[in-house]
Amino acid sequence: MYVDPKVLKEESEKRSLDKTDQEIVQKAMEDGIETVWDRLEKQQPQCGFGQLGVCCNRCVMGPCRIDPFGGEPKRGVCGATNDLITARNVLDDLATGAAAHSDHGREVIQVLLETAEGKSQGYQIQDVEKLKTVAAEYGIESEGREKEAIAKDLALAMLEEFGTIKNEIQLVQRAPEKTREMWKKFGIVPRSVDREIVEAMHRVHMGVGADYVNILLHALRASLSDGWGGSMMATEGSDILFGTPKPTTALANLGVLKKDEVNLVLHGHNPILSEMVVIAADDPELKKMAEEKGAKGINLVGLCCTGNELLMRHGIPIAGNELDQELAIATGSVDVMVIDYQCIFPSITDTAKCYHTKVVSTSPLSKVPGATHMEFHPDSALDTAKEIVKLAIENYPNRNPDRVRIPDKPMKMMAGFSEEVIRGALGGSYKPLIDAIVAGKIRGAVGIVGCNNPKVKQDFGHITLGKELIKRDILVVETGCAAIASGKAGLLLPEAASLAGDGLRSVCEALKIPPVLHMGSCVDCSRILVLAANIAKELNVGIEDLPLGGAAPEWYSQKAISIGAYFVASGVFTVLDLPLKVFGSPNVVNLLTDGLNGLINAAFAIEPDPVKAADILEAVIEKKRKGLGI
Amino acid sequence: MNTVMVKPERCIGCRHCEVACAIEHSQSKTLFGAIAEDPVPKPRIHVEVGPGLLTFPNRCRHCDPAPCLQVCPTGALSRDAETDSVLVDYAKCIACGACAMVCPFGIIQFERTYQVALERNVNTKCDHCIDRQREGRIPACVEACKTGALEFGDINDLIRTTRKDFTFKMLTPSGGEPEVPEVPENIRAFRDIMKKITEMGIFQE
Repeated sequence: MYVDPKVLKEESEKRSLDKTDQEIVQKAMEDGIETVWDRLEKQQPQCGFGQLGVCCNRCVMGPCRIDPFGGEPKRGVCGATNDLITARNVLDDLATGAAAHSDHGREVIQVLLETAEGKSQGYQIQDVEKLKTVAAEYGIESEGREKEAIAKDLALAMLEEFGTIKNEIQLVQRAPEKTREMWKKFGIVPRSVDREIVEAMHRVHMGVGADYVNILLHALRASLSDGWGGSMMATEGSDILFGTPKPTTALANLGVLKKDEVNLVLHGHNPILSEMVVIAADDPELKKMAEEKGAKGINLVGLCCTGNELLMRHGIPIAGNELDQELAIATGSVDVMVIDYQCIFPSITDTAKCYHTKVVSTSPLSKVPGATHMEFHPDSALDTAKEIVKLAIENYPNRNPDRVRIPDKPMKMMAGFSEEVIRGALGGSYKPLIDAIVAGKIRGAVGIVGCNNPKVKQDFGHITLGKELIKRDILVVETGCAAIASGKAGLLLPEAASLAGDGLRSVCEALKIPPVLHMGSCVDCSRILVLAANIAKELNVGIEDLPLGGAAPEWYSQKAISIGAYFVASGVFTVLDLPLKVFGSPNVVNLLTDGLNGLINAAFAIEPDPVKAADILEAVIEKKRKGLGI
Repeated sequence: MNTVMVKPERCIGCRHCEVACAIEHSQSKTLFGAIAEDPVPKPRIHVEVGPGLLTFPNRCRHCDPAPCLQVCPTGALSRDAETDSVLVDYAKCIACGACAMVCPFGIIQFERTYQVALERNVNTKCDHCIDRQREGRIPACVEACKTGALEFGDINDLIRTTRKDFTFKMLTPSGGEPEVPEVPENIRAFRDIMKKITEMGIFQE
């Protein structure tokens, strides 16, 4: 069917902010490929009971729903009110997100253990300094011991955190005392990673309490078990195994795919297999094989958070964020897309079928019909990685050049800002940063995190908010899809300091850093927590006293609910653009957006307009500055 | 004349009415039976999205005079004397689409139905749940609606409620309890947020 290209162009501009993305959105439409935006349109209207959080589909007395206009039915069959149903739904979603992060963390630590025991293939303990630092926190002796012996003790101690009976996760000790006292006071100190998630599942069962406040307090505790537990272990374990990120320059957007090389896209969240693919792609035999097939080389590019992990540590170029997964395939140039888990569209293999692309699934818990399953095991990881690269090389000749279109201008970017690097760049202490904040050169800092969501133009929320904040001399730190968005938009370059206010610009220029710092993948939001905790400790205050904010523009995932909640529970006021599914309960809305302030000195706000979101965050930052007397 | 009145401000797009309608027009009259039938029964009411993601459940208004009935060349459309419903005789329908051309609401549809043995599409527009009405029951869509967006009754009675509320408001400007409650604050807040979201992406007008 012929469609006027002008119409397609207009539609592509509604779907995505980035020009290179728009180009491929348009190509996908021309090729007749169904994408996430088409599916969103086919889902309209979306059920109001679900959107408002007053649908309960837990038991078989139901499913039930509450009339959000205040009429009958006011209660589910069991007697649950709109408040209870909404709160249970939030807890359920949050527990799903916390479980996703933490199970990822567990897998990293398991590989650390097998590496320490000499049972893994291809892995090495790369950051001994970090290993010793973290081991010391666990009371593990490093002096005069082999790194493998230390790592084994540490891995076992960390794995124990998932089911510990100590009643407190060790890494929680990283939080400032004042913040920890607050958690104790409200009974939300996380006791173990798995326990909080199991208890969340217990609490959403019928007849386990009817007090929505009590349920949401547990949601905060479960989120803390993610942020200061599972996610933090994912970060620390990955750093120990693969190296703590250091500043690196790289390229971003779909233009990183190459016309004349074998393109492998590494998509998902857990870097454990992809790190081996990085090693495999350097294999001289495989390189030779690629040349024999007519390719000029092997081009690895990342996507989503697996991409972020590889970008942070190796400067591997990044093709894009969540909504780029179908677009990458629609360039017609992807020979293999390797997937691990989380945020991978279940329809991705159908998208791949429209081209020559092969999707390779690697995790036993994330199989997709139509994918080639090449399962990851630590003891054969490098062999598997080599097989995957070989498959991509063999698939390269199947590429149809007539159907290939790759945007021609990748954007330069800087990444690799781990907490250690930021601290190091400041001379080992946060004093220079604190001085700049006290002097008002930097008003405060905001963590912009989270996903893409087709309901919002791709990257529009992230970029508009980021630009708005730096203009107001607010430093921005980012992870996940937000950071990739900024990479594509050029905000992760030192030159972007010209978009910042005078104060922030002078600091960035002095340190030669961008005004928006890429801190990693979504589990690396834990780096933001450690950063905030270390600044608070230097000032002898709680995180809740610092001029900080959080934002999740374009969020979609249950993981984002967990991140948002652990930001808030840690004392960081957080703005969401898309509403939580709570508006069917005025009580729950009031608790989350106002009542929590009285408990933990932070709350959520829901504001889709990024400029207004910046206003809200600026006001919070100024209030906290006043509280600190600066 | 009994009709279904729509209060668009109370529709939240759940599509319960669509599902209930499809079940009512199945052979089995049950959800689990209906989804396994051939032909699969289709809803005759449609919840469509408008600006700001607001929704409107659209169904046959059973007009009088009814343009569709007036133009039908085969006499397939007729009016039920008892309920004033505009009904289709599937055997007479030739799927010419004349009725659809003149329908002001765009609610005519051509689908297969179990009442026609041949594999052909016929006008399967809303029949006002005529079988249910004859048993003294209200239409399935109205019964399924849990937010009061669909109401069934005498058209003048339903209109009178709104009239009474207006009178009430005119005479008690300080407020009070109208028969039709206002849209609650939380729902208005939610709709404001969704309206903003529609301005930032693919839902842009």
